Order: sequence, then C-alpha cells, then structure tokens
Amino acid sequence: MNQIIDSLQQFWQFTGFANCGWQNLVMIAIGIAFITVAIMKEWEPLLLVPIGFGMILGNIPMFPGLNIGIYEDGSVMNILYQGVRQGWYPPLIFLGIGAMTDFSALISQPRLVVIGAAAQMGIFGAYLLALALGFAPNEAGAIGIIGGADGPTAIFLSSKLAPDLMGAIAVSAYSYMALVPVIQRPIMLLFTTKKERLIRMEKPRQVSQKEKIIFPIVGFLTTAFIVPSGLPLLGMLFFGNLLKESGVTRRLAETARGPLIDVVTTLIGLTVGASTQADKFLSGKSVMIFGLGLLSFVIATAAGVLFVKFINLFLKEGHKINPLIGNAGVSAVPDSARVSEVVGRESDPNNHLLMNAMAPNVAGVIGSAVAAGILLGFLG
Amino acid sequence: MDSKKIILAVIGLVTALAAAAQNVSDLILSEAVPCNTQGVTDGYGRHTGWVEITNTSQGTVNFGGCFLTDDRTRPQRYMIPKGDASTRLGPRQVTLLWCGGNADEGTYYTNFTLTPGGTVYLVSNDGKTFIDSLSIPAALPADMAVRKVARDNKKMDFRTESEPAVPSPMTMNTVGIEETGAQRMARTDPNGWILTLTSVSVVFAALIILWWIFTGIGRAFTRKGKAAPKKETPKKEAPADEAVAAAIALALDMEQDGDTYAAIALALHLYLSESVHDTESYVITIRPTAARHETFRKLPR
Repeated sequence: MNQIIDSLQQFWQFTGFANCGWQNLVMIAIGIAFITVAIMKEWEPLLLVPIGFGMILGNIPMFPGLNIGIYEDGSVMNILYQGVRQGWYPPLIFLGIGAMTDFSALISQPRLVVIGAAAQMGIFGAYLLALALGFAPNEAGAIGIIGGADGPTAIFLSSKLAPDLMGAIAVSAYSYMALVPVIQRPIMLLFTTKKERLIRMEKPRQVSQKEKIIFPIVGFLTTAFIVPSGLPLLGMLFFGNLLKESGVTRRLAETARGPLIDVVTTLIGLTVGASTQADKFLSGKSVMIFGLGLLSFVIATAAGVLFVKFINLFLKEGHKINPLIGNAGVSAVPDSARVSEVVGRESDPNNHLLMNAMAPNVAGVIGSAVAAGILLGFLG
Repeated sequence: MDSKKIILAVIGLVTALAAAAQNVSDLILSEAVPCNTQGVTDGYGRHTGWVEITNTSQGTVNFGGCFLTDDRTRPQRYMIPKGDASTRLGPRQVTLLWCGGNADEGTYYTNFTLTPGGTVYLVSNDGKTFIDSLSIPAALPADMAVRKVARDNKKMDFRTESEPAVPSPMTMNTVGIEETGAQRMARTDPNGWILTLTSVSVVFAALIILWWIFTGIGRAFTRKGKAAPKKETPKKEAPADEAVAAAIALALDMEQDGDTYAAIALALHLYLSESVHDTESYVITIRPTAARHETFRKLPR
C-alpha cells in the first residue's frame, strides 16, 4: 500500500498541477485570449491561433529533464524551434509572400515607393527609444524592427541580434499587426485635414508582364547590392515573385504561396508561441518591448502620413498624393492599405485609395527587409 | 552538345566551385613550436614540438586524409588519418598536431619532428597540392613560436610574423579584441543617432534607386506601347475597373470586416484589367526517349 502511495506521490510530482505557478497560468490565459481574439474577431487568425496555442503548449508546467521542453536540446519542440532560432523559417515565408504579392501597383507608380521608406522611421524611432531606455544596441535593433510591421522580418532579426527577446518581439509584432486598423486610424485622422483626405489620386496605369518579370530581378539586384546582409529575406522575396511572374513556374509559385507558406506559418507560429515560457517571457523587459512596439507602429504611421504631406509641397495640383496612403508604408499587407481605403472612404465615399495604397504597402515589405539587413550589418 | 548537357555542365561546375569554396584549401599552418620544453604537453604528458592548423573559413572542414611533411619532395610523408570524427574542424577553429616522430601514437601525432631552419607543409588530400607552408627560422629560440597573425579578422588575412612569439596554442592568432557590431555601436554611437541617420539614408537611397529605375522602365514600355499599337480588342478602362473592384470591396466591407474582401477586390481588379497571368508555356518537355517500362510506377499507389 505504501508503495502505491509513494508511486502516486512520485507521479504527482510529474504532473502540471504540482509544478504550476501563477506565471504559467497568466501565460496560458494570454494564449487563450489570443485564440479567442483570432476566432471571435478574426484578427490575424492564421498567426494568432498557432501563437496562442503555442503559448499554452509552452507554458504547461512540467518537471524539467524529460527532454520535451522547447529549450531542452533534442526534444521535438526544440528541433522545430531551430527553424526560428536559426532564422530558417522567415526567409521561407518571404518566398511565399513573394509568390503571392502582385507588385504591379508599385511598378505603375514608382514614386510611391519612397513612402515605404518613410514608414520605416518607426523602426529607427523605436531603436532610439529603446537605447534611451537602457537596452543594448543589438536588443534595441531587434525591438525597433517591430515598427516594420513584418512578423517574419522581426523574427529573423531578433533571432540574430537578441534571441532571448525573440518571443516578446514576435508576439508584440504580430499583436500590433492584428491591431493595425485600431492603431493607424486615429493617427491618420490626427495628422490630416479634411481637405487633404479628399485628394483624388491618379489612377495607376496598366503594367505589362515584361515589367513584372523585370521587377524581381532588378529589384533584387538593386537592394541586395546595397544591403547584402538582407540577402536571405530579399532573395527569397524576389525569387518568390519571379516564380509568380515568370509564367512558366506556376507549380513552384503555387507551392510557395500555398502548402509551403502554410506549413512554415504553422511551425513558426506554434514555436514562437511555445518559446514564450513564463520564466523567460514575464519580465519588465517584455512590458517595455510591448510599449516600444506600440510606439514604433505609431511613429511609422505618423512618419508615412507626414512624409506624404511633405512631398505634396512640391507637387502640382492634380498630381498630389492623398496622405491617407502614408500609413500603408508599413508592410502589414494588405491590412494597412485597406485602412487607407476605409478611412479615405469615410471622407469621400467615391474616393478609392486601395490600389494606390498597395504601392507603398508592398514597398514597405521591401523597405523593412532592407532596414533589417542594415541593422544586421551594423549590429550583428 | 545540346542545351540540356550545357545546363548540366554549368550546374556541375557551380556545384564543384561551391564545394571547393569551403574545403581544405581554407586551412593554414598558423603556428609552430619545434622545440617545446616548458609549454603544453601532448596526450602522453610530454613536451613535444607542435604545429597548429587553423580553419579560416566559415564552414566546417575535414582535414582527415590531408598530409603533413617537412620535405617538399615527399608530400605524402605523413597522412592525417581519415575516418576520425575529430578531424572535422569548425569555422574559425584551430587544432594542434604533435610532431614527435611517432605516428603510431594517434591521429594527431606525426612521423617527423620539426627542426629550426626547416619548413613544414600542409598538403591536400590528393597528395600533390601544397595548401600552405610555414618556415621555421633557424635561430628560433626554444619554447618560442613562429606564427601567422591575422591583421584583418574578417578577411582572415594571415601573415607570418618576423619576430619569434610567445606560443599561443589552440588560440586564433588575431590582432586586438574582436568586438561585435553591437559592442562597437555602443562604444561609438551610444545614443544611436549615427546609425539611425545612416540607416534611414540607405533605406531611402535603395528605394529611390528603385523608383528611378522603374520610372525609366515604365517610360520605355509606355513609349514602346505607343509606338507600335497592337490591333487588339478595345481594353476596358482601368479607372472603371478599379472603381468596380473598390466598390465591391466597400460593399463587402460594410457587411463584414476582413482581409478576404480586400483580396477579392484586388483579384477582381487584376482580372478586369487583364493582369492575371501565370499561364503555362504549353511547351511539352517530356521526350519519348525513355523506355516505356522506366515510366511505370515501381509501386502501386
């Protein structure tokens, strides 16, 4: 009988109940909140559901040494996590993004590309703030990239510069990407006048397929020669786009933008979520990262809008740009472009900005990858 | 030679070059102490002369099967044993070989000794190609080393020092302390303004260059289109298409919220403006040269 009691006591020590702390419960609650928001509100469900479930999975309290935890060498979760830790998954996601993105809006209106550059100010604004708050330069760089509004880029850069902060950075980036409509709208309204919001833009011209094929090759050569450290992201992005636009690699393009990106998104979401173990995640630094992440989104949006207003000072009447597409310079595709459309429509129901906003939006993808390459080059 | 063979040859050449990029040619003889009386001891606890090998590449190199010799006419004098896992040298790693004259003592024991005034050579695993050499000055004092030092840590540019040096076995011979980029920026740019201004300038420069290039390309294509108008059925006007697409997006948006509708609107726009492509080339690439049985499935599925 005593043996049975001893066995049960020993078994109890292995259960989650015996090893549970309030931190685990907090993280599990956050995970459930993510899943709830993803399902109920449909905010980035493809990411928030895996991340939310990963949070729950990674915070099941357990007896250490069973070789099952994400931070225990050789465990299944640890092996899957290497894709995040070593930065393998983000370039694969960029391959899929390239294969599903139509850059024709950008090609037809190349001048709008620079808005994508202006919105990257969020990255560097957050970098400066993080330094001021006492973060090391590599940590500040990894935190700043949240302002690029690009989850894979944030994971890629933080895995290289500050692996210990990666969980908080990734969760912060994806959370704010889901909240783009909520964050951006008031800033857009704050920095624009009614008259500016009514500006009607020229319609984009039609782009030939040859131009679309030339774009990924020239775009890659240009950006990769300037920032070789961004090669994994830029190379995969433009390669994916070439697969799409070449017209002769349909199967490869479909695989890249379909099954491949689905598999990698599932793995990246789950493992990033699981990496947020309470003992590593619940800290003052994480709170600061969330705060800085929000500020970086605010700065990026404001910088994009204000930059358009600045450009308008030099443009003739009839060629002016509606500042409401300035927010789309962050690379949350197509959410931020859709915000431009919706806010523009509030002022003028017949003014459609979606296609114009797509140009800075896809330029933002390139811009954030370039910015990540620069930060990696300086701080790596 | 048909195009297929040319492509295969090019792929083979590229693969070979890629493989050669991180092979034994990245190894160097970085340091040697011919007369060791007080320094490090070998696996048998003896003070034996040693030579140090450094992997200067960013990849792992297996030097098993390579040769060491002190006689240029006998390049295959001592072969480093193959099949020993420890002969895999990681990126920017170093290892020692003991030059006691008895190769039977283990993988890292050569069958010759080092002598002042002589030269030690590292020979590739083909037994012919000399990879590197290190000349030992005749006047090298006991317990002093001749070594190569990297002045540029990134390029791994090693040069032989003219003066005898204090031995530094199993240590990368580099000058100064190698600091990370973050450490350098913390020292030179603690507030981050320099990096910020530089980075913003580079991001703008990259995208402005793209702007110029595609403005030029766009003009070229527009001019070309105007110069030679094709006889085609009249195209639908883009503005109307966009309006339709956007109107659908808005209608859907008012009903419900979601990215799906933005995607539908975009797809409709592309469809209406005849930008949808991804059509196959319709070129049949399978040639009926293989025997029929080779195309059968080996197992039922």
